[in-house]
Amino acid sequence: MDNEPLYGSGSFLMILSKSAILAAVDAGDINIDPFDPQALNPNSYNFRLGPQLLEWSAAQHEFVPVAFPGTGFLLHADRLYLGSTLEYIGSRRYAMLLLGRSSIGRLGLFVNISADLGHTGSLGQWTLELRVVQPLRIYPGQNVGQISFWVTSGVPHSYAGRYKFDVGPLPSKHNFSLERQ
Amino acid sequence: MILTGSAIVQARKNGALVIEPFESANIGPNSYDFRLGNRCKTYRSSILDTHKMNEVDEFIIPEDGLVLCPRKIYLVNTLETMGSTEYVPIIKGRSSIGRLGLFINITADLIDIGSINQWTLQLHCVAPVRIYPGMLIGQVTFWKVHGRVEFYNGKYSRKPSPVESLAFLDANV
Repeated sequence: MDNEPLYGSGSFLMILSKSAILAAVDAGDINIDPFDPQALNPNSYNFRLGPQLLEWSAAQHEFVPVAFPGTGFLLHADRLYLGSTLEYIGSRRYAMLLLGRSSIGRLGLFVNISADLGHTGSLGQWTLELRVVQPLRIYPGQNVGQISFWVTSGVPHSYAGRYKFDVGPLPSKHNFSLERQ
Repeated sequence: MILTGSAIVQARKNGALVIEPFESANIGPNSYDFRLGNRCKTYRSSILDTHKMNEVDEFIIPEDGLVLCPRKIYLVNTLETMGSTEYVPIIKGRSSIGRLGLFINITADLIDIGSINQWTLQLHCVAPVRIYPGMLIGQVTFWKVHGRVEFYNGKYSRKPSPVESLAFLDANV
């Protein structure tokens, strides 16, 4: 079943299983770098938190880098931070949904803000929008979220958006920005 | 592909998915509405750490409800035992609940295939809101899988819900 043709097979909009993700990585239809088979879940891949962290500064009216040592960083409630996946992740064939891990959600850490869809054809370190309910200490390199892969319907449209081949956390490219507080 | 309400009913009859107790009135066009249990856990410390065990207090939500405060996480079980060995469950809030500013999960909406349990909801509110045990709070959708299926056998298996975060177990690997 892992190798059955996807177009016209009636298997549209299905979520890939662990074995199907592994087969797609081997076939080059999914890129995850670095890739660790141990990080596969029954229907997703666990990604880690990259070493860079940005915090929204109301005073400077922009995101500014913060030190993120191995001893961790305490996220405060009511603030917005941007991190990124440690891995480069993308697919030319599948749609991707980014989600948190339940271990992290149970501690009140959002890893995105309503924008969970990764476009087919995009590849890079994904920017994470970090927000906490209660103050929470986080660490670089820790498992923080998962990505699921979905069979699409129709002819693939290569994504040529503004965030292609992202490296590290990238602030919004909207030409308006957050209001001063 | 997402299962329709009638496909959910059929799959439950075939044993491909579990929803117990089951009320046919709670079937929607593409989902099943589940209810809030009455067991609640909150973290003892206001400051949490992903690498440490964070102690919790457990209590029963009274029949006349509990007012949730923003800036606090409440872990509550679903009343129903749910799961599937064939389809991937994804949980959502109900729009009636979302309109009140109540999150029922925190970016972790995917339930592992083979995880058949009362699930742990991660409640967080934007404004103070009163919740009641047994209220309809969320919906579960079921999705078809591409590829050979392997079941979940992780650190939350076979633990009575709600279960606090076990993220600290990852810190030691």
